[in-house]
Amino acid sequence: MDERKQPAPVAPDAVLRALADPHRRQILRLVQHAELPAGQIAASFTLTQQAVSQHIGVLSQAGLLTERREGTRRLYALNHQALEPVRELLSEFWPDALRRLKKAVETAHPRPPKRQP
Amino acid sequence: MTAEIRNDVIVATERIEAPPEVVFPYFTDPALIVTWIGDLAELDPQAGGVFSLDMGQVTAHGAYITVDPPYRVAFSWGIPGSCTLPPGGSTVEVVLTPDGDGTMVVLTHRGLRAADIGTHRAGWEHRLGLLRVAVGLGGPEYLTPSAAERRHAR
Repeated sequence: MDERKQPAPVAPDAVLRALADPHRRQILRLVQHAELPAGQIAASFTLTQQAVSQHIGVLSQAGLLTERREGTRRLYALNHQALEPVRELLSEFWPDALRRLKKAVETAHPRPPKRQP
Repeated sequence: MTAEIRNDVIVATERIEAPPEVVFPYFTDPALIVTWIGDLAELDPQAGGVFSLDMGQVTAHGAYITVDPPYRVAFSWGIPGSCTLPPGGSTVEVVLTPDGDGTMVVLTHRGLRAADIGTHRAGWEHRLGLLRVAVGLGGPEYLTPSAAERRHAR
């Protein structure tokens, strides 16, 4: 048996909930291209370090952050893969709208019944 | 209907049983656009003219870039006050192509960054709430924090 823990798959809703906070999105932007320690992340906010730690915890639980230990420091980075399921959901936004458009147009402009040859 | 995402570009297509001349005003006439998207619209369909769509708690705001009836319309799309999806931050281009008696609608949404894409979601009534989340205006009640989040918040 492989004893290594696989990261649990995170439901898109959990990711969305994690994203539903401007501070957390700001954290993601900070670590989008660079690995940063918690202290440096916290320094970018007027929030208490504890509050920032909580936000980091929510993001980690949603799988949005990867964590790496370096000595006594923990370094965080954006886990781009975690956005994939949500990205797929986004792909439904415009198709749903266009389905409504189709219904609206076709209801307002019904085709006359086709004449039989 | 199909949709795909390539490099942060969303392409959605739909065939409609009406000619482009009938479909086009649904992207430029405030009374018609709200029959399929949004609740209230302020539209000035000329290049540089305002494109504003009130979708409940969120207003998508931008400007028309191209208005070429009845085949092509493009507008910028963003949310005022949103740092992730600011007005002008992304563009929506709609191309209407005659297809027999009908119209092939191809909608391309460009300029969405990965983090923004992660914050959109759809499905309509239900998904609109998630779009609100996307744009940083908070979510509807059903998006209350999970037990895990509540534990964290303590």
